[in-house]
Amino acid sequence: MVNENLVKDVVKEPYKYGFVTDIETEKISKGLNEDIIRLISQKKEEPKYLLDFRLKAFKKWQKMNEPDWAGLGYKQIDYQDIIYYSAPKQKEKISSLDEVDPKLLETFDKLGIPLTEQKKLTNVAVDAVFDSVSIATTFREELAEHGVIFCSISEAVKNHSDLIEKYLGTVVPASDNYFAALNSAVFSDGSFVYIPKGVACPMDLSSYFRINSGDSGQFERTLIIAEESSSVSYLEGCTAPMFDTNTLHAAVVELIALDDASIKYSTVQNWYAGDEEGIGGIFNFVTKRGKCLGKRSKISWSQVETGSAITWKYPSCLLLGEESVGEFYSVALTNNLQQADTGTKMIHIGPKTKSTIVSKGISAGNSINSYRGLVKMGTKAIGSRNYSQCDSMLIGDQASANTFPYIKSQQPNSEIEHEASTCRISEDQLFYLQSRGIEFEEAVSMMVSGFCRDVFNQLPMEFAAEADKLLALKLEGSVG
Amino acid sequence: MEIIERIKTNKSIDNQTEIQKICLHKLQLSPLPNPKSELWRLSNQSKFSNFLDYSVSEKNPKFDTPYPNTSQNTVRLIIGENCQIKLIEENYSIQQLSEDELVKYIKKQISCFDQNENWGDLLNLSLSSSKNILGLKINGSKIPPIEIFSHASSNSLNAKTLVIFLEKNCDIDLLQINLGKDNSSLSQSTFFCLEANSSVNHGVVSYGENKSNLLNSLNVIQQRDSEYNLGSLHFKFNYARFEIRIKQSEGNAKTNIKGMQITKKDEQISTYTRIDFNGPNGFLDQINKSLADDESHAIFEGSIIVPKIAQKTDASQLSRNLLLSNLAKIDTKPQLEIIADDVKCKHGATISQLNEEELFYMRTRGITLPEASKLQLSSYFQEIISFIPVSKDKWDLLDKLLNEN
Repeated sequence: MVNENLVKDVVKEPYKYGFVTDIETEKISKGLNEDIIRLISQKKEEPKYLLDFRLKAFKKWQKMNEPDWAGLGYKQIDYQDIIYYSAPKQKEKISSLDEVDPKLLETFDKLGIPLTEQKKLTNVAVDAVFDSVSIATTFREELAEHGVIFCSISEAVKNHSDLIEKYLGTVVPASDNYFAALNSAVFSDGSFVYIPKGVACPMDLSSYFRINSGDSGQFERTLIIAEESSSVSYLEGCTAPMFDTNTLHAAVVELIALDDASIKYSTVQNWYAGDEEGIGGIFNFVTKRGKCLGKRSKISWSQVETGSAITWKYPSCLLLGEESVGEFYSVALTNNLQQADTGTKMIHIGPKTKSTIVSKGISAGNSINSYRGLVKMGTKAIGSRNYSQCDSMLIGDQASANTFPYIKSQQPNSEIEHEASTCRISEDQLFYLQSRGIEFEEAVSMMVSGFCRDVFNQLPMEFAAEADKLLALKLEGSVG
Repeated sequence: MEIIERIKTNKSIDNQTEIQKICLHKLQLSPLPNPKSELWRLSNQSKFSNFLDYSVSEKNPKFDTPYPNTSQNTVRLIIGENCQIKLIEENYSIQQLSEDELVKYIKKQISCFDQNENWGDLLNLSLSSSKNILGLKINGSKIPPIEIFSHASSNSLNAKTLVIFLEKNCDIDLLQINLGKDNSSLSQSTFFCLEANSSVNHGVVSYGENKSNLLNSLNVIQQRDSEYNLGSLHFKFNYARFEIRIKQSEGNAKTNIKGMQITKKDEQISTYTRIDFNGPNGFLDQINKSLADDESHAIFEGSIIVPKIAQKTDASQLSRNLLLSNLAKIDTKPQLEIIADDVKCKHGATISQLNEEELFYMRTRGITLPEASKLQLSSYFQEIISFIPVSKDKWDLLDKLLNEN
C-alpha cells in the first residue's frame, strides 16, 4: 500500500507566486453599470464602435443567467462587488522599458518573466499584463521588421483599429455565453497579434497575466490573426497573489487562421488555487475559441491547468476550411478542494477536417476534475475524422474524476473515435521503481510525468520543462 | 397531450389504487419532464407529445402471438391476461406476488424516484391498473425459460408493469417482448430484484409497427454475487425510449449488457443507461450499438457511477454507431463519474459507416455490394442477437433485421 501521507506531502508545496506587489494603483469604484463601461472605454480612449460593442454586450449579459450545467459548487458571485478596472499608476506614455516602474519590473523578475534588457536574450517576446493593463511588450521592433504586430489590445485599438473592428467578436460573439458577454462589456487589456501573409513568426510570443489586486477582476481579451501561409507559437502564463477572497477571471481568446496558416497556443495556468480549506483562489471562467477559416489551416491548443479554485474552460476549434486541423492537448491537475471542468469542442464544418483530443486529468485531495468535450460532425464534413483520448488518474480515495464526452454526427462519411480510461498510480510500478533505488516522491513524479507525456511533447520547450516541474511541485505530498 | 391534461385534472383513472394515487400526486406537481434536462434535451418534442396523445386503454385485445409456442417447456405469460399464476413444481416455483408485497416494493421504489430520471416509471405506475401489473416471485432450480409479452392496442396508450423477485440461488432465462401496434403507445416498466447468488439471462425485444411509440424502462437491483445479463433490441418505432437503471446494491456483482437500436425513416430511438456501483468488486461490460438510416435519429447516453465505497470496480462501456445516411443523426454520450481510486474504468465510442476496406475486399472476391453490406451488417447484429436468450432462433431476428436494411 502506498503511503498516503507521503503523497499528501508531495502536493502540499506552498504557492510560490502568492506575494503582493505594493504599488500605487488607479482603481475605479466597485460595481457594474453602463456608466462604468463608459468610464472604462473613456479611460482607454476607445472609438465609438468599441463602446457600442461593450454596451451591446452588457445589455445581452443583463438578460443572461449564469450557467449551472457544469455542476460546479461555488458561492454566488456578487458582480457589483468587483472592481472592473485597476491599473498601476505610471507615466502616461512609455517609450522604453527603462521608464516602467521598477517595482513592476521586479515583480515580473520574481515571477521569472524576462522583461528587462539583459534577459531579452531568451528570444521570446513578452507582453506583460498587470491587473487591467499591459505594462510592457518586448522585442517589438524586431518583430515589426517582419511585419508582425504584437502589442496590447488597447494599443491595437488605437493603431490598428481596422483589424480590431474587422475581427473582434467574430469568433466568440458577445452573446456566446454569460462570461463571454461579461468580458465583452468590460474587457480591460490583453494581447493582440497579427502575422502577415507568408510570415513564420521569428520567435515565440508570450503573454504573462498577473492579478495583483484582491478586489478587482481580470477580464483580458486576446486576439490572434494569422494571415495566409503564416505561423505563430504563442505562450500564456498566469499567476496571482494569495488572498482569502475569490477573484474573478473571465477572459476571452479568439484565434483566426486563414489558408495554410498555423497557430499554436500554449497555456500554463497557475492562478492561486485557494488554501487547503478551499478559502480564496481564482474563479477562472474562460472562453477560448479558434476559427480555422482557411483551407489547410491549423489551430493547436495545449494547456497545463494546475491553478484556480474553479476552472471552467473549453478551448475550441471551429473547423470551417477544407482539410483544416484542430488539436487539443491538455493536462489538468486538481488538488485539495479545486474544481476543474475543462475540455474542448471540435466542430467539424468543412470537408476533410481533422481533430485530435488528448486530455489527461489528475485529481488528488478532495478535488473534482471533469473532462467535458463536444465533437460534432456537420452535414458537410465529408471525409472528416476525430480521435479523442481522455485519461484520468486518481490519487487518494476522496478525489473525483468525471468524463462527459458529447459526440454528435450528421455525416456518415466521417469517423469519430473516442476512448477514456481511469486508473490510479500503479503500486506495482511504484514498487518496481523503488526497488531500483528511486525515491518514492521521484517515482511518483516520474509516473505522473509519464502519464502526461503525450501532452508535454506538444508543449514548447521552455514550457514543457516548466510544466513538468510545476506538476511535481503541485503533487508533492499528495500521492497515497 | 391528452393524458397530461387528464392527469392534471385528476380525471384520468377511476378507482385508483394506492400506488396510482401516489404517482398521480407526484405527476400533478410537475406533469412533464424538464425538456432542458440532460436526460430529455435530445428527445423529439413532437414525437414525445404524440406518445401522450392517445387515451389510456385498459382493454387488452385478443393477442396473436408472433410465433407459435412450439416448446412445451417454455412458460409463456402475457401481461394483462394472466391473472393467477401459480406454478409449483418439484424443483421450482413461479408464483404471483401478493398485493401487499407488490405495494410495499413499489412504494419503496417510488420514494427515491427523481422527476426527470424516473418520469417514465411515474407515468407508467399512474396509469397501470392492478390488472396490468404482473408481479412474480421465482425460486428453485432448473426453471424453464420464461417469455413475457406486453402489447399495445391500436389508437390507445397501454401501460404495463412487470415486477420480478428472483430468490437466492435462482437461475433463469427470461425473454421480454414488447409489441407496438399501428398508432399506439406502450408504456412498459420492469422492476427486477436479484437476490444473492442468483443469475438472469434477460432478453428484451421491442418492435413496433407504423407510428407506434414506446417508453420502456428497466430497473434492476442486484444483490451480492448475482449476475445480470441483458441483451436488448429495439426497432421499428416512431418514437422509443429505453431507460436502463441498474444498481449493484452491495457490490460483488456482475452485469453484462449488449443492446442495439435500429432507426429508419424519421424514427427516433434512444437508450439511456445508468449503472450505480454501491459496493466493492463490481463488474460491468456494456456494449451499445446503434444503426441510423434515412432521416432517423439514434441516441445513446450511458452513465457509470463509482462512489468511494466501490473500490476495485471493473467497468467498461462501448458505444458503437453506424450512420448510413446523410440525413440521419447520431448522438452518443458515454459518461464516467468516479470517486473511488482503485478502479479500472474505461469507455469508448465510435461513429462511422460500413468499413470500406472490408466492402472492397469482399467485392474483389465476387460478392456484390448489397450482399457485402448485408454480410457486414449481419456480423454487426449477430453479436447482440446471440446474447438474447430463449427464443432467439424461433424469431429469426437476424433475417428480420437484414431484410429490412
